[in-house]
Amino acid sequence: MTAIDDNPVTAGPATAGPATGGSATAGPGGSDPITRDIMRQLLPAIADEMASDLQRSSYNMMIYEVRDYCCALLDRDGALLCQNVGGVSHFVADLGVVIRDAIDRYGLDGFRPEDGFVTNHQRVAGQHLNNVVTYTPVFVGGELVCFAVVRAHWIDVGGLSTGFGSGPGVADPWQEGLQLDQVRLYEEGVVDEKVLRLIADNIRFPESSLGDMRAQFAACRLGEERVAELVGRYGLDTFRESVRALFADSEERCRRVVADIPDGEYRASAAIDHDFVDRDTPVEIEVRVVVEGSDMTIDLTGCSLERRGGINGRTLAAPYIAYKALTTPDEPVNEGSFRALRVDIQEGNFMMARYPAPMGSWSTALPTVVDTILSALAPAIPDRIPSAHMGTLGGSIVFINTAPARGQAAVVQSVEGGGWGARPFGDGESASVSVCQGDVRNAPIETLELRAPIIVRRRELRPDSGGAGRYRGGLGLVTEVESRVPGMFTASATPRHQCLPWGLWGGLPGEDTRTFVTRRPGTDPVETDVRRAAAEAGGRVLLMTPGGGGWGDPLERPVGEVAADVVAGYVSVGAAARWYGVVVDEEGRVDEAGTARLRAAGASGAGPAGAGPAGAGPAGAGPAGAGAGGA
Amino acid sequence: MGIIAALDIGGTFTDLVYWDTVAGRGGDAKSATTPKDLSIGIVNCLTKAGLAAGELTDFVHGSTVAINTVLERTGAVTALVVTEGTRDVYAIGRGNRPDAYNIFFRRPRPLVPRERTFEVAERLAADGTVLTELTDEAVEAVVDAVARSGAEAVAVCLLHSYADERHEARLGAALAERLPDRYVSLSHAILREYREYERASTTVLNCYVGPRVSEYLEQLEELLEGRGFSGRLLIMQSNGGVMSPAIAKRVPVAMMESGPVGGIAAAATLGRRLGYEQLIAFDMGGTTAKASLVTDGEPAISHGYFIGGYAEGHPLMLPVVDVVEVGTGGGSIARVDEVGALRVGPQSAGGDPGPICYGWGGKEPTVTDANLVLGRLGAGRFLGGEMPLDVEAAAEGIRRQVAEPLGIGLGEAAEGIVEIALTAMALAVRAVSVERGYDPRGFAMVAFGGAGGLHACAIARDLHIPTVIVPTFPGHFSAVGMLESDVRHDHVRTIYADLDGLDWERLEQIVDDLLAEGRGRLVEEGIEPASMVLEVDLDLRYEGQEFSLPTRVERDELAGRDAGALKARFGAEHQRRFRHSASEEAVEVVNARVVARGRRPGLELRVAGEEGEALTGTRPVVIDRGGTPVDVPVYWRPRLAEGQVVVGPAIVEEYASTTVLLPGDEMVRAASGELVISIGGTDR
Repeated sequence: MTAIDDNPVTAGPATAGPATGGSATAGPGGSDPITRDIMRQLLPAIADEMASDLQRSSYNMMIYEVRDYCCALLDRDGALLCQNVGGVSHFVADLGVVIRDAIDRYGLDGFRPEDGFVTNHQRVAGQHLNNVVTYTPVFVGGELVCFAVVRAHWIDVGGLSTGFGSGPGVADPWQEGLQLDQVRLYEEGVVDEKVLRLIADNIRFPESSLGDMRAQFAACRLGEERVAELVGRYGLDTFRESVRALFADSEERCRRVVADIPDGEYRASAAIDHDFVDRDTPVEIEVRVVVEGSDMTIDLTGCSLERRGGINGRTLAAPYIAYKALTTPDEPVNEGSFRALRVDIQEGNFMMARYPAPMGSWSTALPTVVDTILSALAPAIPDRIPSAHMGTLGGSIVFINTAPARGQAAVVQSVEGGGWGARPFGDGESASVSVCQGDVRNAPIETLELRAPIIVRRRELRPDSGGAGRYRGGLGLVTEVESRVPGMFTASATPRHQCLPWGLWGGLPGEDTRTFVTRRPGTDPVETDVRRAAAEAGGRVLLMTPGGGGWGDPLERPVGEVAADVVAGYVSVGAAARWYGVVVDEEGRVDEAGTARLRAAGASGAGPAGAGPAGAGPAGAGPAGAGAGGA
Repeated sequence: MGIIAALDIGGTFTDLVYWDTVAGRGGDAKSATTPKDLSIGIVNCLTKAGLAAGELTDFVHGSTVAINTVLERTGAVTALVVTEGTRDVYAIGRGNRPDAYNIFFRRPRPLVPRERTFEVAERLAADGTVLTELTDEAVEAVVDAVARSGAEAVAVCLLHSYADERHEARLGAALAERLPDRYVSLSHAILREYREYERASTTVLNCYVGPRVSEYLEQLEELLEGRGFSGRLLIMQSNGGVMSPAIAKRVPVAMMESGPVGGIAAAATLGRRLGYEQLIAFDMGGTTAKASLVTDGEPAISHGYFIGGYAEGHPLMLPVVDVVEVGTGGGSIARVDEVGALRVGPQSAGGDPGPICYGWGGKEPTVTDANLVLGRLGAGRFLGGEMPLDVEAAAEGIRRQVAEPLGIGLGEAAEGIVEIALTAMALAVRAVSVERGYDPRGFAMVAFGGAGGLHACAIARDLHIPTVIVPTFPGHFSAVGMLESDVRHDHVRTIYADLDGLDWERLEQIVDDLLAEGRGRLVEEGIEPASMVLEVDLDLRYEGQEFSLPTRVERDELAGRDAGALKARFGAEHQRRFRHSASEEAVEVVNARVVARGRRPGLELRVAGEEGEALTGTRPVVIDRGGTPVDVPVYWRPRLAEGQVVVGPAIVEEYASTTVLLPGDEMVRAASGELVISIGGTDR
């Protein structure tokens, strides 16, 4: 119906006509409403069951802790029937391209019962190669009904490095690692041993990744069984009719929300400092959102083109996450969830990059893009848009044990989280993973230390990191890890020094991310922008994750709330005076006269940003007080 | 033995069930819960039942006092003492946002604020070796800080205290000496398992509820003693067992879910008595339905859950009966949403205002209203006829609010409401069985709660469960379970080692320590050695996995050091649960666990029957989806004779519950009073 649901990636410049909205009035179709509503319960339950099965039986932390996977059923035309809830958000509704590509390649009659496929190729999937998709065709009574699909992050796919992926410095997919292009691994239930050996020989931890692959296929088979039960009970025609009706429902729900947003054209911009290779040229994020009735267009054509660093990807994740969060955050996802959205993005955009552009850090920019889209709409729906969050993928720390002893893991990692933007009605949450990560959890200190010879010296909230405002941005974290053996640290943080997590409506930006490395004990920590650092025994890495932006004028924050923040240690005595104009001591005792003086003078930092949403007009610079568009 | 009584205080009602083991008879009483002074409800129940406290030998008590303290946030002013560098670990938690697209998510709100969280200079490594000594000065400084903070309770959670408890113990001793009136919990004594956030949360919860629960239990003891009670008081726990009040005061967090688990424990006992070892307990009340699994006669246990839900709740990692709960009860509201989808629950009309048909002011149609319109519930038979139901009003509500918006007939709408509720409940039953790797075709379902019998046969048929059992006292089944539950204590210790390179002597030492702890608890409970049962599990997993599977071992077999046998047993369990295993993979031991049980005698509960003809008439009932009402025979359960057979379709009514038999179902009244139903269309 739109450029998006037909074929977002291969349709060339996706500027085809607007959504017709034809199904806005579509009724429940031919299936009876009760069966449709039963299907509404049962379909997402299948994807969720596949997910819990995968998570509990997988071997790698990226799956069971970081939950870097998704499980789904897709129709014979690649339409999304259901996807699991939780896990990382940036996989939302992005498996259709993989299945449509498979159908193009093999033909609908090219699949056999108990076949199994594996693919991670960037020509189609457009993510780092660690994200490996397995899928199986689901046959019921000899007829192909749909596909059961699982994407999961493997701990290693060969290439230059291991763990979270190759990183942004890798120049092309061959350096990045093993590429699998729609490989039929199981032929009618029989595994191709030669392919299996080829995979095993080209990755570093074959027992782990092949274990994950077994778990992925087991989850696919589980999905097959559940679909067979469902179709067996209700019949294929009823199944298909119900699915169509559910798509129409999902679309209608979204349209109702968008229809309440004032029509208009809204813009915002932000930037990532660089792509890790071309360090002088920011990665520009220019967003235009057009609301017209119940239709929304998110136009990303103003964003940077493909870059030499691996920040590229082929993904609609950012606009999809923003749209989902705005419309129906609590509803299950299916193909109808995005039919009323049009995304304009051209081939060659850094988020619609062409193979073989490097994509090793494909998701790095996405949280910032989501924030930019949301901020664009702040003037339209001011009480529903929070200030910017930390905007990075959680601030990850990886330790690579170059010579693991028996019982020690070669790689351990944790995603640390950071501050979220203040809300139009309250302070931002602290120490939480990004908008792209959902149910991703940090690794417990005790787990890290049981697995690897490291000591986590501290994991604590970072005072003063939350942007000041009537409502304060959430706090980032300070995490410090010491190695007890020689090894390698990776501390990944998105370079956003030029464009801090911005505030809205006079709120100030959150603190920037910072990384320090102490290579050997006794030496001074050195601030670094380098992702990877070798450390001797006793060496340390210290990661400070960003805070969220503030919302509203800090001088309007009630004195009592500022004093309480000082007592808790979230805000320092100095910052209370500087940003909030509150004179208070560490015990929370407020100097009323001094406070009145400071507040009357406008404090020192809150001045110019105090007025409304800067540039609230349709084509303005966005509503950001400080930070947005600062590059 | 003499008279055993169990008292279950719920949100609305206080239930009492008793059994006289000498006379072989028992009874029950119900009274409104009196939140301001719970003792009034207790005394009312005893009086109603005609019981004197002095004649009771055992008094078992389940209470929501602990969970309510957390949910209402009315617990003690609590301080938390942690290792240097980890002051914020409790507030940071795991950093996750389970509602992935909700940009206004809420993280759990800590029960201890940052300003009452104190660091102490000390540090252990993962193997328990000391990296930073705990000095006297450090102890003194932190005890001073706690004293100044005004805390009534103090939780201590140091890194790696599961590996070595000495630092925590020293702090505990210092706190006890300097601040003897404070309630102190040490994390290794509450949960000796790795993962510092979850252990801290569990320990904080214990402190937070500790003072209030202790006071409550003391009042209860005084009340009972004042009325002449000299028997044994036992407290229901979340793990399906009971414990003494003395232990409950130390580990009150163990009684957090003491209400709902009683029925599951009762189902397990009932199954053992009737010869069904593999059961699904299904409990449907006014606001929710709950499903749990019983295997080999024991309720399935989950090692932890989240109070207040996964997204925003507090982790509590003590063993709890594994319950999957869905928001569909008799009072669940059916509505057609803005795009024309029919939704049932989780909003519930509850008991106030209740379903439309109660006539108490409820305006929104509920599952109960739908069952009434379909004839499955009898208008004149509710609560034995004490409370007539308004069919017309129920029909009007469904017609206006469901049938017309959907453009379907009244019968179809009522049927749809029930079907959607059934689907949600079937998913819950499946979650505890199929999704745990168990085939429900080998199980019997025990259905209880006010609305369990109305829906059980339909769910069983859906999942090919061959047998449904409706117990006696289905409305008080939770209290029944408390009458018979064993004393139970769980002990755990993190080990974390490769099975292949295992230090077996260390493992044996740890297991022996745990067994000694367990035996010590049972001795403290006054359990005779002959009634003690101790079981050992090792939590095993493939190297690199996070979730482990408890694998049963015998203490004596550890001496044989047969890693291969353990691995094979684990592999088989992994295969059953996840459909794959990997015999060549390395296996890790994560935790050792000991379950210490003190068996209590089983009871032959029977209810006295009534004279007269059980078949009371017929009424029109919609049985099939889209079908028209057919005349169906209606039976009065108390008059069913032993061995009497009833063939579906049929309705069996009793005081507070109704059982619906579908065509092809065949029910027999067991000698001990239960209704045992063979489900049509399944392999029996």
